Amino acid sequence: MPQSKVYLKFDWLTIFLFFALVAIGWVNIYSASLDESATTFFDLSQIYTKQLLFIVLSVLLIIFILAIDAKFYERFSSIIYIVSLLSLLGLFVFGKNINGATSWYGFGAFGLQPSEFAKAATALALAKYCSDLGVNIREFKHQIRAFIIIALPAILIVPQPDPGSALIYAAFIFPLYREGLHFVYLLLGFFAAALFVATLGLGVVWVALGVLLLGALIYLYNLKRNRKKPPLMRYIFIALACIGFAFSVNYIFENVFEQRHRDRFNIVLGKETDAKGIGYNTNQSEIAIGSGGWTGKGWTQGTQTKGNFVPEQHTDYIFSTVGEEWGFLGSLLVVVLFVALIVRILYLAERQKGTFARVYGYSVAAILFIHFFVNVGMVMGLFPTIGIPLPFFSYGGSSLWGFTILLFVFIRLDGGNYYYT
Amino acid sequence: MADKEKNILNRLYFIAGGMFLFALLIAIKLADIQFVEGDKYRELAEKNTTKNFTIPANRGNVYADDGSLLASSVPKYDIRFDAVTVSSEDFKEHLVPLSKEMGNMFNRPASYYQNVLRKARANKNRYLLLAKNLGYSDYKRVKQMPLLNKGPYKGGIIVEQKTVREHPMGKIGARLVGNEDRENPGYYAVGLEGAFHEKLSGKKGKRLKQKIAKGQWKPVYDENEVEPQDGYDVVSTIDVNIQDIAHHALLKQLEEYEADHGCVIVMEVETGEIKAVSNLGRSRSGGFYERLNYAVGESTEPGSTFKTVALTVALEHKVIDTATVVDTKDGSFRIYGRTISDSKRGGYGEISAARALEVSSNIGLARLIDDAYKDNPKKFTNQVKEWGLGNRIGIPIKGEAHPVIYEKGDDLWSRNALPSMSYGYNLRMTPLQILTFYNAIANNGKMVKPRFIKEIRSWKEEIESYETEVLHGQIASEETIKKIQEILKNIVKRGTGKKLYSENFSMAGKTGTARTEYANFDAWLKDKKYVSSFAGYFPAENPKYSCIVVIHKPSTKKGYYGADVTGPVFKRIAQKIFTDSPLKAEVANLDVVDPIFQNDFESYYGKVQKRFSKIPNVKGMAGMDAVSLLENLGLKVKLQGNGSVQEQSIPSGEKIKKGQTIILTLS
Repeated sequence: MPQSKVYLKFDWLTIFLFFALVAIGWVNIYSASLDESATTFFDLSQIYTKQLLFIVLSVLLIIFILAIDAKFYERFSSIIYIVSLLSLLGLFVFGKNINGATSWYGFGAFGLQPSEFAKAATALALAKYCSDLGVNIREFKHQIRAFIIIALPAILIVPQPDPGSALIYAAFIFPLYREGLHFVYLLLGFFAAALFVATLGLGVVWVALGVLLLGALIYLYNLKRNRKKPPLMRYIFIALACIGFAFSVNYIFENVFEQRHRDRFNIVLGKETDAKGIGYNTNQSEIAIGSGGWTGKGWTQGTQTKGNFVPEQHTDYIFSTVGEEWGFLGSLLVVVLFVALIVRILYLAERQKGTFARVYGYSVAAILFIHFFVNVGMVMGLFPTIGIPLPFFSYGGSSLWGFTILLFVFIRLDGGNYYYT
Repeated sequence: MADKEKNILNRLYFIAGGMFLFALLIAIKLADIQFVEGDKYRELAEKNTTKNFTIPANRGNVYADDGSLLASSVPKYDIRFDAVTVSSEDFKEHLVPLSKEMGNMFNRPASYYQNVLRKARANKNRYLLLAKNLGYSDYKRVKQMPLLNKGPYKGGIIVEQKTVREHPMGKIGARLVGNEDRENPGYYAVGLEGAFHEKLSGKKGKRLKQKIAKGQWKPVYDENEVEPQDGYDVVSTIDVNIQDIAHHALLKQLEEYEADHGCVIVMEVETGEIKAVSNLGRSRSGGFYERLNYAVGESTEPGSTFKTVALTVALEHKVIDTATVVDTKDGSFRIYGRTISDSKRGGYGEISAARALEVSSNIGLARLIDDAYKDNPKKFTNQVKEWGLGNRIGIPIKGEAHPVIYEKGDDLWSRNALPSMSYGYNLRMTPLQILTFYNAIANNGKMVKPRFIKEIRSWKEEIESYETEVLHGQIASEETIKKIQEILKNIVKRGTGKKLYSENFSMAGKTGTARTEYANFDAWLKDKKYVSSFAGYFPAENPKYSCIVVIHKPSTKKGYYGADVTGPVFKRIAQKIFTDSPLKAEVANLDVVDPIFQNDFESYYGKVQKRFSKIPNVKGMAGMDAVSLLENLGLKVKLQGNGSVQEQSIPSGEKIKKGQTIILTLS
């Protein structure tokens, strides 16, 4: 096949969705960081100018990624993964502390955040592992190895401290599920999350009592229904495991978490209401979105946005600008664009013939989804404050490039599919 | 295999479906925030981002009657220094010159400022006070100093403007003018400032502003914007000179008699305009200052100054006459189980009613009034009340005390009440009320309301003007008034006030000496406390001003009689006002023209008006006239001698050549 036709095989719809989101993102960053005292547009001290520069550089990055042979990513995935882990390790020595977290390498005025790139590296490594011929994810020992691949970067990210970014690695449960991980793991995950919330919300004693009561009821139900006697020891073990989990959650919450983390959870759980102090961000962000109405106040007309009421509005809270200035319709458009992108990626992933590209595609979709869902949920007060960016939207070079690499490697894999397999 | 395919498809659907559900959750939450709770959030956003700023209005001034300022608002500046924002190069470079200039300006060694600034920098002080309460020109000067002239960010200068109420006349009359509440800035309760606060303060403006980045607020122009309205000026009746005289006269006497406090009021007889109010109280350190407005706020037993009121009642009712004789015995008299005494040892014996007032006989007044009114004491008290002495005058200044006039039927009424009232006990009045009565006597029976304000004006026009208000058209018949006026004049001539008598100017008035704080009589006997007073008017024949002086608790070692303590203050005020008032000697017929002078002028003027081509004859003309005439023709003139022209070097009739010199010989 002639070389020139290669480009046509890239999935232009995904690329379009990417640029649409980046463009809308920049428009909102412009509004959120608009400084009426700025004299010229091309003033590199302005946030929106910097972001524009990041976008231009990301286009170069895209061309670079697409130019590389698709096989490269599969072949070098392990090395990329190891380099990524080393970069995370290196933070403990060379890291620069910004806002209380050592997540950055400093280069003069700019900084690089390796955790943003580690996601793509982990996805490559996981895809590579799953695509090995001898690996069957239904088997326990392979599951353990896959979990180790996922957990290593997360473990390195937690003590930065950046628990939010580490949480994202939970997304990898979806590609594993697709590859045959038992449904029970997903259930377990949900159950653990439910137990977590219940422990914080109700207290460990009530959770323990509830678990015992529920276990006893199920046991009695089974006892009555089945002729065979249900295994009592197993019930006791599960119940004790649950209670143990609840206690450890309680312990971690009280002893490992810092007060600001505790405050964030307590606010979402309705245990504390403090609109001025610890709940200020979310409260102001809700005011911004809520005051938007149907069509919003118009570009650069948001009073909350202009008044700088929402802290970090150009980064993690950028969605509040969308809500305020573009209203329900604008916000819905952004949600639809994200959902469309994720669904498209899932669709593309499913049509891959190779396991590597498929697992990688599922990873991309899952990571984007978790980011999107947690970020927007946080901005609207559904979730506690977890500081993770909105993909393609939030200001920041590392985050933009991290997601660009994540997405376009997949587009490259998808485009190259027909050649190499 | 197909089963496996289906299984995988299910997994895809499960994942996609799950994600879709979460996305739906987000959309629902979005709708909830924006529509269900939207109004709440919109309101919050409105409250958040827009704020009504009040624009303060300028407070009006308080003027004296001649237009001199009594109180005015001026901007003052505090200068602070942010020692952190300045770069270290700038700090190093400018530290010495800045300290030097500060030292020069505030009379301190430059090293002092160097130390202060260095310390602030070391302690990261961002709010160091450099100078306080600077006037505008001083503020400008500080702003131009090295380093500070670099502005707030580079130079670290922080300027705080505030408005301070200034009293150009100093503390004189401060109580009457009033002042800002120290604990409550912007609030004026007392004095004229308090009374006319609403008029003075104007109306605050209102401007809606919206918050923009960096903590700045931007005005939003809308129809709700209200421009501030500056306060009106208040022109008081206070005469600065009289106020000054009263202040110093009172101060001198308070100090001399080591008294506790005292007050002076001077009132213009005809109009009721208060020309001066001085209130001085002792401070903890022993000095005197304008402490409380005793003149209107202190209602006490007036003592003998009330005897005049009592006698006026009796004379008006014609129950006695000035010639009615009363026996004051030997200076001690028992009435209804109580002993009254007179101050003169041995008593006055039998004296006339007029004389009783002249010598201020307690027994005399008590017996006269008791004899006349014991059967109908209400007739007496009603008359006093009819003159308005039972009620507050109703002046605009806050804190006017209530007078107390008991009458038969009251709980505290007894048979003794009436005789004690006659010499000024068993009732309470403020100095201003007593003065109002004396002023009515001086004003031939017409009682006018004391007033403090002439007019209220904005900078361009009069807003409100105040006229003399008559409280009582005629308090007593002309005959009665004349009698009382005669007695008051005689008091100064030969009665209790004879020490004050002066041949140069005439005064009329009544002394008063009242016991105070005598509820525990034994304690009072050990440490006698008096209120000394003097109320009257001057000049006696054609009264211009009435005046009351009250001094509380003079040192009894130095004296306590009204004639000794308060009388001299009254006299000093009267004397000073007289000597300070300019005598008017009008010159009539200023426009009459001297015929000789007029003649001379006309002959000169006529000659000047002619156009000369030849040298005129100036012989006989006044020298100066000749010079100006000839020089106007282009000649140079040299003079010899004085007087009128005798000779001219170029004879008349010759042609004029420009620049020619002519020599005039004068005689």
